[in-house]
Amino acid sequence: MLESRGLATVAIAAVRAQAENTRPPRALWTSSQLGRPLGEPGDAAFQRRVLLAALGLLERTDGPVILEEFHDDPPAWTDHPAWVAPRVAMPGTMPDTPSAWADAFAAELRSLTPAWERVQARFGRTTTGLSFLPPTEWPSFVDHCLAGDLPLIDGHATTALGLRFLCDDIKAFYGEAGQAVGPAPSSRQVDTWFWRATIGGALLQALRRTGMESGNNALKTVSGRMFVPAPWVV
Amino acid sequence: MARVEDIPQPTRDAAVSIACPSFDTAPFVTGPALSRRKVAIVSSAALIPRGAQPFPIGSAEARFLPASIPPNDLLISHVSINFDRTGFQRDVNVVYPLDRLHEMAADGVIGGVADTHYTVMGSTDPVGMTEAADRIAAQMRLEGADTVLLSPV
Repeated sequence: MLESRGLATVAIAAVRAQAENTRPPRALWTSSQLGRPLGEPGDAAFQRRVLLAALGLLERTDGPVILEEFHDDPPAWTDHPAWVAPRVAMPGTMPDTPSAWADAFAAELRSLTPAWERVQARFGRTTTGLSFLPPTEWPSFVDHCLAGDLPLIDGHATTALGLRFLCDDIKAFYGEAGQAVGPAPSSRQVDTWFWRATIGGALLQALRRTGMESGNNALKTVSGRMFVPAPWVV
Repeated sequence: MARVEDIPQPTRDAAVSIACPSFDTAPFVTGPALSRRKVAIVSSAALIPRGAQPFPIGSAEARFLPASIPPNDLLISHVSINFDRTGFQRDVNVVYPLDRLHEMAADGVIGGVADTHYTVMGSTDPVGMTEAADRIAAQMRLEGADTVLLSPV
């Protein structure tokens, strides 16, 4: 669409089949994980090589369509053996009331907050913020949601939207806390820790189950589709 | 990684079988050498500056990302939960490679970096994005930018 408006374009193609079907003027297919088009976080040299390969297609005149492959795999696809997950105190049995969930979640957030603050100093940012709520207010909000209430967050029109973005914030908080020190873990390492070894991960599963039983259709829809990725649903 | 066999289900089937639009024309714009091109990023990550409203699901809008927004203030508001965020949490350049483009401009590899970049919501039918494309093209012409790097998540 941009090319027809006189602009030269080159795409970094995440999925080769889509590039072959869409037939853009120029695309570089990489083996990078979905969500990481430039391949490797913190590796400027790798990112630059991807960019050079992609932008280099602009100097060719044998299109359309030019679809090339970037042959190198990003290093962090594989698990890093030196990465150590943050230590959290997972209880033997899961909480069985909304307030017990909130208390356990609050305790875990407090225990991870030093790591979360370290990562902000390390990488200069946090990617939490979509819900507009600070972490100290998360336990109370999820308490109400698990109790079947429909609490609202200023800035989000519905409980469904507020809770959807709060779930994104919770995942971001844990993802960042898990990267506070040491080498870059694979995303699989972080996901396995979060979804299988933390109260936060178990809480999102509980929110999903509760939401899917809600009489509120919007909440039911986002709970089923937007809280827990399918491979991690229990 | 985005080899089909490595994408978890059901995202794998969705990624491969999703209906892709077809276009009646196949435009192919040539231009000057890379060292004379001014490059803008278009990201499908539905990026927003902290505090802004996230993209609505299915939104066909394009939002502008002027140079005044520090990349470290950007959040991903994309609807899909089925792609990795941990890389972005560690390094914004893995999605929005603005630092890399500025380095390449400083080295003379590209001619320059646009003053404005753009973001849309992926997983949205591009057929409805005509107005978004018009707005992006108009702003790029205004800034003398001639080349688009499409960075999908």
